[in-house]
Amino acid sequence: MLALDRVSKTYPNGVQALARFSAEIRQGEIVAIIGGSGCGKSTLLRAIAGLDRASSGTVILDSETIASPHAKIGIIFQEPRLLPWLSVADNIGFGLADLPAAARREKVVRALERVGLADKAQAWPRELSGGQAQRVAIARALVPQPEVLLLDEPFSALDAFTRRDLQDHLLDLWADTRPTLVLVTHDVDEAVALADRVLVMRPRPGRLFDQIEINLGRPRDRNSPLFENFKRSVLTSLDRSLDRSVPDRDATQGPGQAMWW
Amino acid sequence: MISDAPVLQQTSEPAESAAAPSRVARYVRPLLGVLLPLTLALGWELVVWSGWSNGRLVPPPSRVFATIMELARSGELIRHIAATLWRVGLGFAFGVVAGTLLGAISGYWSLARRLLDPTVQALRAIPSLAWVPLFILWLGIFETSKIALIAVGVFFPVYLGVMGAILIVDRKIVEVGRTFRLSGPAMIRRILLPAVLPAYVVSLRVGLGLGWMFVVAAELIGASEGLGYLLLDGQQLGKPAQILAAIVIFAILGKLTDWLIEVASAPFLRWQDAFGRAKGA
Repeated sequence: MLALDRVSKTYPNGVQALARFSAEIRQGEIVAIIGGSGCGKSTLLRAIAGLDRASSGTVILDSETIASPHAKIGIIFQEPRLLPWLSVADNIGFGLADLPAAARREKVVRALERVGLADKAQAWPRELSGGQAQRVAIARALVPQPEVLLLDEPFSALDAFTRRDLQDHLLDLWADTRPTLVLVTHDVDEAVALADRVLVMRPRPGRLFDQIEINLGRPRDRNSPLFENFKRSVLTSLDRSLDRSVPDRDATQGPGQAMWW
Repeated sequence: MISDAPVLQQTSEPAESAAAPSRVARYVRPLLGVLLPLTLALGWELVVWSGWSNGRLVPPPSRVFATIMELARSGELIRHIAATLWRVGLGFAFGVVAGTLLGAISGYWSLARRLLDPTVQALRAIPSLAWVPLFILWLGIFETSKIALIAVGVFFPVYLGVMGAILIVDRKIVEVGRTFRLSGPAMIRRILLPAVLPAYVVSLRVGLGLGWMFVVAAELIGASEGLGYLLLDGQQLGKPAQILAAIVIFAILGKLTDWLIEVASAPFLRWQDAFGRAKGA
């Protein structure tokens, strides 16, 4: 289980990006974090990844406090961030340096096939399209089999078609080992399509505003009325989060309370 | 979708022909660069041959070539080339090692940069030839002072190139290394070194160019062999053909060594997505 306990972040310039964010995320759960710009969602993700330290509060994964990057936590950024001097195959195997070459090669080959890029193994990253590059990034993050995979607006730079394709692909890959996914997004459709639970944050300082359980089975039909209903409730909550006249409330009391529409 | 298909086909055609020039163009294009010097040389040859000029101060190419052949036959040419190459090689090696080490330290470690860089920059502002009298006093008139001078010339561009390249390595790429928990040495080997390699190769080439410049300076100051000595000897004995012969050999050697660096680094830089590559240059 991934437990966030009153995680706060104040930058040296005095800006409080994150205030007492608490949440518990079950193993294998898919959680989407959504909110207006500047609500601290990326700050939160970087704290979970151990890339930036929280000013106060703790991130605990399976009773281990996370203060620096951890082997059980993988991350996918908005940009693929492939290493341009490594072939696609070597990029995917980048995190497997400790394995013997044969085992590494086998895992890479399997991952390449899994993301449908077997024919691109020896290509350079510059030869890939945006969607292909992001698929390589997903493969690179997944081959070390992390328990938690963090995604920071991973599909926001892609066109709508590719985005949907990759969202489905991500779910497909997730089903293999069922890691915990924490997905930061500003796309309501994406949040409802992927997540078991949507956490809505509100800005200045970034804090938890609301959480909405998405009680839909998978695969999800994006055109179903139920899907639309969930989208609407997330949107309404987002709107309210940006309305200063709406007071904060304790969002950690559990599900059900979001059904106020 | 259907209406897209012909449009796609149309646009792909001119792009393809631009990417793969015809066979004739591929062989002719490099020759374009030779056209101007060749015309000038042939023209001058004709002018002297027809008696319009006696070519005493500006000897025609044939006489320069004859001088080179003569020097080669007597074995002197090899001796001079060897002496100069040896100096450039040693000076370049020392300059590169020092420039790379200090540049890497300054680039990687900000405390070292604050301590070291202002001094290095101040030293860089001194015209390197100003060191000559001091080097001669300290190191003597023979090889050591020459090699030191060349090393100084090579040092600065390499130092600057390495430090600058490390400072602008993309933070996002470094973060990838961090998420995979690379240790310090692994971060250097797997992220920083490959990332700075293109800029490093450029700085090596600039450094080598300066090395060739300074070897002439060093050999003009006082040497009994070397291509610079040939220059000076030609001036003092009024042999312009010998001066031109030395200059031509400098040009050939400079280009050749530069090309060696380029060829040796090319396999490591194939990944680059660069403007020059896209143009097929």
